[in-house]
Amino acid sequence: MLNFNTPIIDTKKYSEIKISEIEPILKINLRGKNRDFITKIGKELSIITPVDPNTSSSNEKLNLLWLSPDEWFLYTNDKLDIKDANLLEDKLFNEISKVKLGSVTNVSDHWIMINLNGTKIFELLSAGCPFNFNNFKNSKGAVTQTLLNHVDVIIHNKNVNDLNLFVRRSFSAHLWSWMNDSAKFI
Amino acid sequence: MFLINCPYCGERDQSEFTAGGEAHIVRPKQPTELSDDQWAEFLFMRKNIKGVQLERWNHAHGCRKWFNMARDTSNDRIHAVYKMGEKPPIK
Repeated sequence: MLNFNTPIIDTKKYSEIKISEIEPILKINLRGKNRDFITKIGKELSIITPVDPNTSSSNEKLNLLWLSPDEWFLYTNDKLDIKDANLLEDKLFNEISKVKLGSVTNVSDHWIMINLNGTKIFELLSAGCPFNFNNFKNSKGAVTQTLLNHVDVIIHNKNVNDLNLFVRRSFSAHLWSWMNDSAKFI
Repeated sequence: MFLINCPYCGERDQSEFTAGGEAHIVRPKQPTELSDDQWAEFLFMRKNIKGVQLERWNHAHGCRKWFNMARDTSNDRIHAVYKMGEKPPIK
């Protein structure tokens, strides 16, 4: 895992919304097409690989999100120390990439995770997002990739009024400013 | 603005997609044997019809998968959405 370098490191509280950056956590992109690959991920991570669109599966340590029919996004629940993170990455790399079953890419520095908490988080998102959150907000574990204020984001509905949003590092400061500005008016 | 039913992710706003032009254009098997006119025909010339057209689309801000769509260019009504490699459900 690379040395984390994030442009935000902040937490903001508004009347019904709390926005905080959660870093450093391990994020890994997994790509593969065949059935063996899907089985292998499940076995190595002790997690059921989500194959239904816009879904995820979780255990006490990890979350595995469906991104497309041949792509998944893995992230840890807690801040990991670098040693543990390297062990997990090496394990996946040796079992999947090395045997050419699929690809394992550490994207920890590529994505920034922002946690949104509160009863008005979906009103905040709807202010700049073309996605319809009506069904999404009631489905625990739902995942979507969409645009927020014209910026690509991955949104994971962790719990009721509690979601994790992933944004590319280079867009994160801009999106952070936009979210804080918008939250003031909700 | 209109909604597109991505064959992988479901119904999403059109702003998440990018259009990739006319679908089902077959690449010539021997490009070196073509004249300049024939190569230009394959490379650049596209239909621009008023009515139902078969097009390629990409869910660029979602699953990033390509798929095909039969869309009426006069009113943006989508008649069918189908995956790459599948035959068009309408002609």
